[in-house]
Amino acid sequence: MSMPLLHESAVGHVTGEAQYIDDLSHPERLLAGRVVYGPHAHARVVTFDLTAARSIPGVRAVLSARDIPGENQVGPVVHDEVLLADDEVTFIGQAVFLIAADSDELCREAERAIAVEYEQLPAVLDLPSAMAAGALMGPPRRILRGDPAGAIGKALHRISGELETGAQEHWYLETQAALCVPAEDRRMLVYSSTQHPSETQTLVAEVLGWPRNAVEVEVRRLGGGFGGKETQANHTACWAAVLAHATGRPVKIRLFRDDDMIMTGKRHRFLSRYEAGFDAEGVLQGVAIELNSDGGATTDLSFAILERAMLHADNSYFVPDFGVTGSVWKTNLPSNTAFRGFGGPQGIAVMETIIDRIARTLGRDAAEIRRKNFYRAAPADTTHYGQVVEDNRLALIHDRLMASSGYTQRRAAVAAFNAGSAFVRRGIALTPVKFGISFTTTFLNQAGALVHIYTDGTVLVSHGGVEMGQGLHTKIRGIAAAELGIDPARVRVGATNTAKVPNTSATAASSGADLNGMAVRNAIDTIKTRMSAALSEKLSPGAGGEPSRAADLRFAAGRIVDSVHPERAITFDEAVRWLYLQRIGLSAAGFYSTPGIGWDRDAGRGTPFLYYAFGMAVSEVSVDLLTGAHTVERVDILHDVGDSLNPAIDRGQVEGGFVQGLGWCTTEEILWDARGTLMTHSPDTYKIPTAGDVPEDLRVALVDGVPNPHVIRNSKAVGEPPFMLALSVWLAIKDALSSIAGHTVEPQFSLPATRERIALEAERLRRLA
Amino acid sequence: MRDTIQFLVNGEPARIDLGPGSPWRPTTTVLQYLRAHPEYRGVKEGCAEGDCGACTVVLAEDGTDGALQYRAVDSCLLFLPTLHRKNLITIEGLRATDGALHPVQDAIVRHSGSQCGFCTPGIVMSLFALYHTAGVIGRHDVIDALAGNLCRCTGYRPVVDAALDSCAARGPDHFSAAEPGVLRALGAIPSDDMLIETETQAYCRPATLAFALRYRSIKPEAIIVNGATDVALRVTKRHEQLASVLDLSGIAELRSLRVSPAAIDAGAGVTIEELRRVATGRIPALAEMLSVFGSRQIRNVATLGGNLGTGSPIGDTLPVLLALEATVSVSGPRGERAVPIQDFFTGYRSTACAPDEIIVAVHIPIPPQGTDVRAIKVSRRKELDISTVSAAMRLRTTGNGSVDEIVLAYGGMAATPQRASATEAFLSGKPWSRSTVEAAMDAVANDFAPLTDVRGSAQYRTLIARNVLLKFWAATDGKEGAAS
Ligand SMILES: Cc1cc2nc3c(=O)[nH]c(=O)nc-3n(C[C@H](O)[C@H](O)[C@H](O)COP(=O)(O)OP(=O)(O)OC[C@H]3O[C@@H](n4cnc5c(N)ncnc54)[C@H](O)[C@@H]3O)c2cc1C
Ligand code: FES
Ligand code: FES
Repeated sequence: MSMPLLHESAVGHVTGEAQYIDDLSHPERLLAGRVVYGPHAHARVVTFDLTAARSIPGVRAVLSARDIPGENQVGPVVHDEVLLADDEVTFIGQAVFLIAADSDELCREAERAIAVEYEQLPAVLDLPSAMAAGALMGPPRRILRGDPAGAIGKALHRISGELETGAQEHWYLETQAALCVPAEDRRMLVYSSTQHPSETQTLVAEVLGWPRNAVEVEVRRLGGGFGGKETQANHTACWAAVLAHATGRPVKIRLFRDDDMIMTGKRHRFLSRYEAGFDAEGVLQGVAIELNSDGGATTDLSFAILERAMLHADNSYFVPDFGVTGSVWKTNLPSNTAFRGFGGPQGIAVMETIIDRIARTLGRDAAEIRRKNFYRAAPADTTHYGQVVEDNRLALIHDRLMASSGYTQRRAAVAAFNAGSAFVRRGIALTPVKFGISFTTTFLNQAGALVHIYTDGTVLVSHGGVEMGQGLHTKIRGIAAAELGIDPARVRVGATNTAKVPNTSATAASSGADLNGMAVRNAIDTIKTRMSAALSEKLSPGAGGEPSRAADLRFAAGRIVDSVHPERAITFDEAVRWLYLQRIGLSAAGFYSTPGIGWDRDAGRGTPFLYYAFGMAVSEVSVDLLTGAHTVERVDILHDVGDSLNPAIDRGQVEGGFVQGLGWCTTEEILWDARGTLMTHSPDTYKIPTAGDVPEDLRVALVDGVPNPHVIRNSKAVGEPPFMLALSVWLAIKDALSSIAGHTVEPQFSLPATRERIALEAERLRRLA
Repeated sequence: MRDTIQFLVNGEPARIDLGPGSPWRPTTTVLQYLRAHPEYRGVKEGCAEGDCGACTVVLAEDGTDGALQYRAVDSCLLFLPTLHRKNLITIEGLRATDGALHPVQDAIVRHSGSQCGFCTPGIVMSLFALYHTAGVIGRHDVIDALAGNLCRCTGYRPVVDAALDSCAARGPDHFSAAEPGVLRALGAIPSDDMLIETETQAYCRPATLAFALRYRSIKPEAIIVNGATDVALRVTKRHEQLASVLDLSGIAELRSLRVSPAAIDAGAGVTIEELRRVATGRIPALAEMLSVFGSRQIRNVATLGGNLGTGSPIGDTLPVLLALEATVSVSGPRGERAVPIQDFFTGYRSTACAPDEIIVAVHIPIPPQGTDVRAIKVSRRKELDISTVSAAMRLRTTGNGSVDEIVLAYGGMAATPQRASATEAFLSGKPWSRSTVEAAMDAVANDFAPLTDVRGSAQYRTLIARNVLLKFWAATDGKEGAAS
């Protein structure tokens, strides 16, 4: 069933009435907070002097690591990340000092008055150097099935190569922001733009040296997150909290765009190596992949991200003998972090490169090679880590999309066009995605909710998930309304608050609706059970008649009806009023933990995912070989969301994810200079897609008739998987380039395919052709 | 002389005293001013540099035809004095008095055009200005209107659909009804010289050129601004306090625009958008170049004089103006003089306009029949991006197809916009054929020694400079994309 509900904040968005952290009405005596970072990628802090800065009138606090009341530690998994640099700075953008003052301008003045002396130390600024220096962040990981080297050795055809995939800046429109308000009894109220309120609460408590019950974190909405506020929103909240604690006054920090881009981590860039063996038909025999990721200066979520890359290096293909190794390397750059797809895109890009090369090697169409290698009947239904690919929709989606996109005819038309065109070439590609849903860190797969029914029949739902634009609150509202059988207009989803629902997981891994939706249903079931028990008595006719049974009561259309005796009914509102007078509890907490999953990290074996989401895209591009400019001519997407909870919102996730992926694949390039300074530190030089980059001919469809029995209302997670569909654009560009030398030469290709790389490679191929 | 500005906010009269003791500076941006007021926090800051559009507001003022003209602008780059005699429309003013959503707001809601919503107020304002633009509105217009608005969530498709939907059947809105009153109120505000002098700043916004010239000769150190799309970045990004500013945006004479069959004569204060409109159909190469200049919000305030005054090697009007052999008029204590554009750029960001002079106008000859003018901009992204390399060509061939006259001008290849003189010489007199052009591509490589920077490597720049010749050839030969 679908509930075509509009985004719960849509009117707020279009009128500007929806508030973000920086829009909240200012508490009295609010101070502006500022974070100061140093100019060196790696240096020792020799000495500093804060007296001049502190003596400026209107400057209320200037703090260093020594002034942190609790622990100077914000590492979310591994405790290797300080809140403020102490005696060593390890990347440009690392916070060293904090300032609170009456105005931003005074903060800046104070910053200029801080005297620091650094002693520069050697810095590692790219993956090859880190690898050469053996700068591992931790032990390498491995997933292995069979004997890949042996299988590759025996295969008729072998290929090997290296692939670079680039970093990506989240570019959430709302930069990192937090407002901390000290309250009586040594409490701290934290308004944060965080995807992980419970972790923010934990870390604020730890840096203040307070118990967690003294810190309350509230999140109404985020102006975008995309993973960038999963761990790295914590810092801003902790900085503001330390300043608020030091001054006893409310402090707000909102990072200036350039500072945000300089200070926070990005999608991990990867340098990957691969070897593959395949037969005359292009069927994979063995694959060995080595993934190397740039973790930046500290661990953050790097290992979980690497792990997901390793778990997705198969993408949608069965490889009998398959080995993936992965290492995270340490560099003097901001700690890289979660970003939509969470390593999946980096792993999938490697496998898609392999498939693309097989097609070129054999002179066959890549879509056909893909189809042959899809997971299929046993034993070809089991991944390299031993999970069976159940409810496999790959062949179904492939065949439907090939037909609906007219792929075969268009492939021929592209070839015909290219035969007659010297300077403009076209390319087309189909790429699939199979994306595992669940946190691979198993304990995170839990959620809580709190549901109140008030005596007028309206409902307030709280849950652990954060609304960051993905429409989670709207979906939850729909779920709650459907479960209670009432009009969604009677349901309000409240701000996420750690005082209402404790110990929650980050809103991440596309799991927001799956987990929290179940927890909300669980809470509602509890209330409904209580309601039904009491109501069945009320509805029963009394002596002589057959009594109503609680189990037969149905909640629908604003009424509660005995399904066996449909004439016995009561409106929801009336029922609620009556139940209140009967002293029946109309509020309940709910909880959910995902069953049946488990992952043995050391063995590289298990069932880390509850299910898989599938999707495919066909993209066609034209490329101006002389300038490297490309145009996406048409995109057809067919994506599996089970029974959609909300088709408009799901389509929005598919399109939005795809376009974000398009940016990663094409225009978004992060550049650091030789000192480790971010050169692309503002939208002037860092180019995310604009409206004109999105194809006019964009045909998005959700697969119908594919309910997903594992999840709330048979739906499927949708946040991340579509991101990877943009690889079809990347490979379509490669296809266009490949045509220059008649598809006989493997183009030198990496990600992003910027205009510069395209033009330079086109030139190289033209000279070869 | 006034140091108070008078304007309307959402139709209601407002004034800001900028004199000594004011909490505001003349270089306070409209965004900073609005966000300091809790009732105007619908407007957002996403970048403070004109690249995201989250801060978009609409300025309505008396157009040339006596009707209100609505322009979307980035409030993060707008200094307060520019509001004088304008109606500042913010997102808060869009609902009708009965609370009904404006048609563009309503369409975005219906099409699920917002996700996190942070970009949405800016997008609404851009589309609101589009709604008030005359003529049929097609997809191309919508994309153009949105080029300056970044959205990281939606992928834009629903926003574009909402725009097309709301603009398809445009009717009068509550702004239409209020127009006569707004025009009257704006008309009642005097346009006189403004001089704001505080302890830390002097800001002069003259109403006449004569006054501006006088001020310039006494205060040659004052930084000139017109659209301020370059200069404002010093305030918003580098946090400089501009001690002394001469703002030319209030001078009507500088906004004159005359068109004859032979030339466009544009005042230095003509905006890039106004110039784009007149160039359309007259000098297509110029119009094309200007249509990929910044975004609509930027073009609505950025001026031709500012593009010349910056003297940037990647100013987008400059290669075309070089190819068209435009003439720049500068005025100062020694009177007015005309400088041929090829003599105008004297070095990296320096020009022939002396410290006591002002650029007043540009004479842009319209190429005669038979002369082919082409221009191209290559940047990282299609829209709202600064050029890596830009180029323009003017070509006249003889009856037998050899090159009679050729001008090749490049931006981004040297410290100033520059002509490829060796290449021009090489091509001159030779047949305009693919083989000569290919030979000339090597000459281009000798004309320039470009730099590597964040917008592109020297190798890439050189490659484009070469390839652009081939593109021009293919275009003039009518064979772009044809088989080799
Ligand atoms: C987001 C963004 C995108 C941009 N995109 C482009 C682009 O695509 N292409 C491009 O070329 N530029 C671009 N620019 C740069 C800028 O918009 C242009 O250079 C514009 O033409 C400057 O005009 P202005 O009136 O705003 O200049 P101002 O900022 O007012 O002035 C610019 C300079 O010119 C001087 N000056 C201005 N008027 C005069 C005068 N009459 N006499 C003497 N000196 C004068 C000023 O002193 C100053 O040094 C962009 C800027 C931004 C912020
Ligand atoms: S804040 Fe981004 S354009 Fe003004
Ligand atoms: S809706 Fe989030 S940036 Fe546009």
